[in-house]
Formats: sequence, structure tokens, C-alpha cells
Amino acid sequence: MTSELGVGRPTKRRPGAAVGGLPVADSRPVLDRSDDGGDAVLGVRCTACRYPAAQTGIPWCPACYAPVAPERFAVTGTAWSSTVVAIRVGQRRPPFGLAYLDLDDGPRVLVHLAEPAVVPIGTRLRITGTDDGDLVASA
Amino acid sequence: MSTAMVWGVGTSDYGLFPERRVESLAWEAVAEAVRDAGITPGEIDAIVVGSVFGPPGVATRVQRGLGIPGVPVWTVENACASSTSAFHEAVEAVRFGRFGCVLVLGVDQMSTLFSGAIVPEATDPEGASSLPLPGLYALAAQRYVGEFGVTPEQLAAVAVKNKRNGLDNPRAQLRTSAPTTEEVLASRMIAEPLTMLQCCPTSDGAGAAIVGGDRGNRDDLLVEASAMVSGALWDHRSDDVWGYASVARAAEKAFAQAGRPPSEIDVMEVHDAFTIGEILTLEALGIAPRGKGAELAPAGHTTRDGAQPVNPSGGLLSRGHPLGATGTAQIAEVVWQLRGRAGPRQVARHGVGLVETMGGGAAGMDGNACVVTILSTQP
Ligand SMILES: [Zn+2]
Repeated sequence: MTSELGVGRPTKRRPGAAVGGLPVADSRPVLDRSDDGGDAVLGVRCTACRYPAAQTGIPWCPACYAPVAPERFAVTGTAWSSTVVAIRVGQRRPPFGLAYLDLDDGPRVLVHLAEPAVVPIGTRLRITGTDDGDLVASA
Repeated sequence: MSTAMVWGVGTSDYGLFPERRVESLAWEAVAEAVRDAGITPGEIDAIVVGSVFGPPGVATRVQRGLGIPGVPVWTVENACASSTSAFHEAVEAVRFGRFGCVLVLGVDQMSTLFSGAIVPEATDPEGASSLPLPGLYALAAQRYVGEFGVTPEQLAAVAVKNKRNGLDNPRAQLRTSAPTTEEVLASRMIAEPLTMLQCCPTSDGAGAAIVGGDRGNRDDLLVEASAMVSGALWDHRSDDVWGYASVARAAEKAFAQAGRPPSEIDVMEVHDAFTIGEILTLEALGIAPRGKGAELAPAGHTTRDGAQPVNPSGGLLSRGHPLGATGTAQIAEVVWQLRGRAGPRQVARHGVGLVETMGGGAAGMDGNACVVTILSTQP
């Protein structure tokens, strides 16, 4: 019954292009691929307390209010937690693995796992690329 | 500062009502609350509405049928905590003497907006990366499994308890069966380790409360505490799972306001959108030490005949979760419990009740907002 509800009604709220709506500005962390292997996640870092953020365009450091400067973060880190999603979400077909990855000396970012499997907490992961704009990591 | 009391509460049924106008859900809840409070609509000085999915101007569209013209009206959106945020504003307004009688309304009709799971907010990094809300809770659950050895059976016990409670709630969306632990775990996987029966359904519904001063009515409930906090950064520096810290911040304020320890709470309605949510919330409230919250349901501490019943209504897992209406539904249940009129759901000790609603989903924050309310019968 639920699958029929809302069908044919363009009422989904800000769904974005991934689920058939209008595109919205992409707020996901950006991976900078470099030919010499120096890949990095782009973001900003506080000039005073060194707080790292993958969100750009923020007005000041949200931890101490000092100015922030552009920064390149390592693409390696440790898995804070992970899960495998078994339902379709937008255009993403299940199963797909997601993890929060604490980048070495960087922010915590959400990544897709190259292999859809739960990894133990603390597993070393490396961001290897992107998939439709999502960061993809593997062990 | 004067005293704030809850004069009356009301709700609609909870379920999927795509054929109904959204206002009709609200009118049903408001009519019951006004009758329950024993007032006329003309006595209402202000209206605060909690709603997430609108429509825009939902407060005015509801007001159109109520005949309460010209009073201050405002709408609050704080994710799942929208209508408890609205309740908090009403309480503060009455305490500070701004209004004498405030109508609080929570309403959302989600069946006309989503088919199946809620589509994550596409403007947000996590939403854009296809992280659904059950996935966010699943990440918290997996962290807990890894840190504290929480078992699948302990998670499932929350669903077993709340769905059994929901059988006695005639307004709940899901009240057809009380699954066993095995059935909960065998239901369809949504996001590891959360199975279908550990996730609340999306719903339509409304709840209302009338908040005013002390009018000497024995049926009115004393608002001992109402605390609201917004989110803080949730990042690589945090050892807490997502959402935990915001609940803890609100709880600390609320218990300080009430001058009570968590052990004095007789009955609770807390945000169990997913089983792990109830476990984390009870730890953040101080009902169990960190890492021990998963033992509460299996040990019977939180069952309806336990020492501190949690979600005697069946919670969100049974009632359903019309985001903006959930807080007022929780308040209504605690009011019914404290008055001793919850019928087959009634808990034995009912002097002090607590409502906790945590709304979230914005990436990098430990919640959008959390509200903790403590109500009591008058001495
Ligand atoms: Zn800083």
C-alpha cells in the first residue's frame, strides 16, 4: 500500500536530481585527484585551533571563531563506524556500504565502501575515488 | 516567573491518511485538547505549531477552521522535535507572563509526500550521499556493538517491548501483532544491524496541548521542567555517537530545573524512531550508565510493569512517526498516564513523567534540537 502513496505527485520535498527532482548545489566533500598520487580531500582548517572541516565557505572556525584557510586533507583514516544499507535510497540501489571515516589529521567524512560489508571499528581505510560525487573508500 | 501547567491534550489517530486534508488531522487533535482543557477556543491567546513538512502556512490553514482570529501564531521546525519545541515556547511564554493560554499543535502528513522511505535532504552532504535516517542510526548502533558488545537480541528487545505496548494503544498505526525477538531479527534488513521491525513507520497525524497558568484545577499537570537545546558540532573529536550529546545536554538542564534525579521519573515517552535510539536516549537521560542502556528492556526495567516504564504507548515504533506531531503525541500519552487514565496501558506509579524528543539529520551536528520535558501531578 505504501508504495502507491505519493505516486505521480510531484510533492517530494527538495529531492535533488538523484531522485528525479531539480538539481541542488552539491555540498559533499571534494576529492582532488592528482597525477603524482597526492590525492586530497579539500576543505578548510582553522588558523588558530587547527579545527578541520570538509565544508567550505564557512564564515569562521565553528570551534573558536578564528579565520579559516583552505586545506588539503589526507585520504587515509580510520573507520569510526560502518553499515550496509539494504534499501534503495534515491538512485542508490542496495546493498551499499557506508562508513564514517575519521581522516588522519582531518575531519570525519561519510564515505561509500567499495565493498558493501561492515568493517571493524578502527579499520584503516583509504579514499580511492568518487562515485557520482560520493567519496568511495576501501580497506 | 509563574507556573506553567498543561490544561489538556488531544491527538488524532496515527496512520496513513493520504485522503484526508492535513488540517482535518489538526482540527481533530485541537478539538479534543480544547474539550479536555475545559476551555472555549476564544480563551486561546496564542498558537504555536510544530511541523516539518508543512504545507507552508499550515498554522494559518489550521487556524481557518478554529475561529481564533488575530492572535500571535508561529510555526517551529526542529525536525522530530518540532512540536516539543513548540510546547517549550508555549511553556516559556506562560512562565514569563506573555500569554495566559497557549495552543500547541504538532501536525504532519507524510503519506502524501513520500512513497516508502523518506528521501534524505539533498542539500546536505550526508543526504546527497544517500544516507537515510535508518542508516545514520545504524552507524550509531554499529559503533555501540563494537564498543559495548550490544547484541542483536538486546536491540530487538526494545521493539518487542514497544510493539507489545502498542497493542493497547487504539490510536497507534501498528497494533496488529507483538513480534518475538526472533521475528524482529528475521524481518527485512534495512541498514545493518537494524531490521524493519526496529524502524518506526512514517505516518500522518496531529497532537495538541493547551498550556496555561495555575488555575487550581487538580487535573492540570505541572510543568516541572522544559529544556530545549539545539545541535552542536558532531565531528572527529567526539566519542559520543550521533545524537547522544544533544539529549544529554537537554536532560541535564531539565533535571536541574525540576530538582530531581533520573531515578525519580515514573514513566517516560522517549524518541524510539529506531531501537538503538531508545537505548542511547535512556543512557543520555541518566536512566542507565553508558554502555548499559541495552540491558534495560531485556531486564524488564522499562516494561510497562517495570520500575521505570518507557514508551507505554508503544512509542514511535508502534504509533508511527509523523515528525512534527510526535512530540505532542508523547506529551499527550504522559498526561494520560499521570492522570491515571491510560486504560490498559496504565502504569502503576504515575506521579512524575518525562518526555524526550530528539530531532536530527543535519550532517556534522549532534542533532537539530532536543527537548526534554518533566511533568508531574500536583502535590
Ligand atoms: Zn578554531
